[in-house]
Amino acid sequence: MRKWISLALAAAAIAVLPSAPASATGAIKCKAGPQSGWKSQDVLKAKLVKEGWTVRKSKVDGGCYEVYGTTPEGDRVEAYFHPVSLEKLYVARRGQVLFRKPGY
Amino acid sequence: MRTILNNKPAFWLLLSLPAILLISGWWQGRIDGMDMLHPTGEWSARLMILAMVLSPLLSILGPKRWLHWLVVRRRAIGVAAFSYALLHLLFYLIDMGNLDDILAEWLAPGIWTGWAAFALMLPLALTSNDASMRWLRAGWKRLQRLVYPAALLTLLHWIWVHNSYAGALAHFVPLGLLLIARCIKKPLSQMKSQGV
Repeated sequence: MRKWISLALAAAAIAVLPSAPASATGAIKCKAGPQSGWKSQDVLKAKLVKEGWTVRKSKVDGGCYEVYGTTPEGDRVEAYFHPVSLEKLYVARRGQVLFRKPGY
Repeated sequence: MRTILNNKPAFWLLLSLPAILLISGWWQGRIDGMDMLHPTGEWSARLMILAMVLSPLLSILGPKRWLHWLVVRRRAIGVAAFSYALLHLLFYLIDMGNLDDILAEWLAPGIWTGWAAFALMLPLALTSNDASMRWLRAGWKRLQRLVYPAALLTLLHWIWVHNSYAGALAHFVPLGLLLIARCIKKPLSQMKSQGV
């Protein structure tokens, strides 16, 4: 019994090995050019709050703005926005992808 | 130096050092409640893995003094792994702040695996004392084997909650390889002892 569980554990660890992404940070990448051309995080936060979001934390990740907060629908999520257009690109709940803009 | 190192409370202090640093950082406002989740979970997984690699290492390397030093402290390492998991859960509850949000996400793959891993670790921690060992006798060892499915769930929890593999695999692949090595070595040494 223990042997089988050990083997399953080992197999699971190794099966997922080749699919490890090259970069660990950033669920998506934005390639939005130099930061001087970006809108500020405060502008994004104000826009989101107006739309009904609750913003708990925001930071730069993968060249995008990453926001932790609650959507107008009431879901606790982690969302990525384009720092120039402020467009919503990716929304996930605890790693479970709820929305991803095609191409990202 | 050696007596300090071999002292039981000193070993406990060593195990709780990351927690002390993290909690003081959070208390002073240097670390966000949200940012306490990852390190507390990672330390729990690290200590769980440390407790789990000792017996395969022992069967592969044979008796070694440093290994013995750790093996006699394995129960403390396991209890510490659980304590970090408890801290991890506590900060999750603080961060979520209300039952509705917790229930809304609890079926997400990255979340139920964490709850399940914690549920399996709970009886292990509760029976990590001499009285339980005496009471359960041979059953104690069988019960402690729940750590294997708990580790599998922890690995999945880590991968799914982050939606990335790198960190989780860096920790769990060595454990996986050691478990495989032991499985391979065991039948070989059995064959040898039977003169095959």
